[in-house]
Amino acid sequence: MAIFDTKTLTDIILVALAGGIIGLDRTAAGQFMFSQPIVAGPLTGWMLGDATTGLIIGIVLELIWVMDIPVGTFVPADSTILAVWATAVAVLGSAGREPLPVIGFSLLLTVALIPATMRADGFIRKWNSRLAAAAEPTPGEHAGRRLSRAHLSGIAVFFLKSFVLYLVLLPLGLIAAHLFSGLPMRFQGSMSLFVKLLPLLGIASVVRRLSIRTADGFLLIGFVTAATIGLALRAGFLLVMLVAATATWVGVKYREGRS
Amino acid sequence: MQTLGFAYAMLPALRRLYPNGDELTSRINLHLEYFNTQPYLASFILGAAVRLEEGRASGRNRDADVRGMKAALMAALGALGDSFFWGALKPFAVAAAVAVFLAGLWWAPLVFLVIYNIWHVGLRVWLLFLGYESGGDAVSLVAAFNFTKLARNLKIMSLSLLGGILGMLPLWRAEFRLPVPVAGPFAIAVGGLAATLGMVLLLRAGGTPAKLMFGLAVVCVVLAFLGAV
Repeated sequence: MAIFDTKTLTDIILVALAGGIIGLDRTAAGQFMFSQPIVAGPLTGWMLGDATTGLIIGIVLELIWVMDIPVGTFVPADSTILAVWATAVAVLGSAGREPLPVIGFSLLLTVALIPATMRADGFIRKWNSRLAAAAEPTPGEHAGRRLSRAHLSGIAVFFLKSFVLYLVLLPLGLIAAHLFSGLPMRFQGSMSLFVKLLPLLGIASVVRRLSIRTADGFLLIGFVTAATIGLALRAGFLLVMLVAATATWVGVKYREGRS
Repeated sequence: MQTLGFAYAMLPALRRLYPNGDELTSRINLHLEYFNTQPYLASFILGAAVRLEEGRASGRNRDADVRGMKAALMAALGALGDSFFWGALKPFAVAAAVAVFLAGLWWAPLVFLVIYNIWHVGLRVWLLFLGYESGGDAVSLVAAFNFTKLARNLKIMSLSLLGGILGMLPLWRAEFRLPVPVAGPFAIAVGGLAATLGMVLLLRAGGTPAKLMFGLAVVCVVLAFLGAV
């Protein structure tokens, strides 16, 4: 079967267009969080006919990169591109096979994409910083016209960055997924295990940034509450989460009242 | 990008306040000076800048220091907003959505969007008006909304939720259920907690998420070839 039939090529262009638009929400316009992996992943998957794959990829990447914060001049990894790209590669590259190994493999490949997305983002930001000078109106000119043009071209450049990256990187990803399908079954099985373990790494990344302690007291309270009520008493998942959150909230209020 | 965005957002007000072309040009140029802060809290500065420009244009406050106000507020609000929105609210919304997803429900992204945007949109609108009313008085902002305290509480709630998620590891949705048939649910949960804390230690020792992802993949491949999977 050819990797790049007409439908796949159309899908690549559609994903590049949609990914470019979703990516604008990241820094250029809105920031309503549609660009976050937890939303961008399922949106891409839904567009390609497999929202669940997008949701799995989105959740995992969200956990891993949520605390990669754009503070000051630091340019974090572009988790939107990682999520959209990995989802498209997993959906288009699995072609009716068991999806979990391809999901794991596409998630692993995102590691290689991180430096490219960071460099592209840094370059675009530098490019856009020059636009402020270009926006200054000259005497006699209709005030604001240059500013509007510069502002909109800044947004367009952000779109183009993502669009071009998808057009270049998606075919490479699909070739890699095709080669992956020829690897031994054990290797493919290892990628299923990889997917199952990644949420633990994601939780570790968040805990590391939220608390100065490794074994944080509140983390352990949540764990013990869930293990006791959820595993021993067999209460429902969301009920357990609600009890853990409420117990913590009461504890926080009690501590506030005492201090 | 924020410099341009801020000037662009000011444009309708400036056009209305300064019908004279030369003065308008000069005010646009002033707002094209470097500006960078937390994008949501920029609403407060935007409201304040409109108020000061109004005073200046009407002659009530010809010496209004818009440039000074922006410079004074952007660093402080940047730090405050970064730690609240990126460092506390976002991880909390993610933790809640992940719990919903691992419970087997598909609407996790909606949970994330609703939790985050109720705060985000609400604060963005409110801060615009507060900035306008206060004329950029940062004390009024801090008095009206205790970002630091709320951020601390949200972080605590996130940690508790993440702990709860780890405690429920044996009951995660099928795709993430670990293939350990001989171990009981408690052993799996404790093993998951130990593995997570081990990864926290590795991250604290200088590891990055990308390096750990790669390392984890290598471990999985080795386990698979040893026949453990």
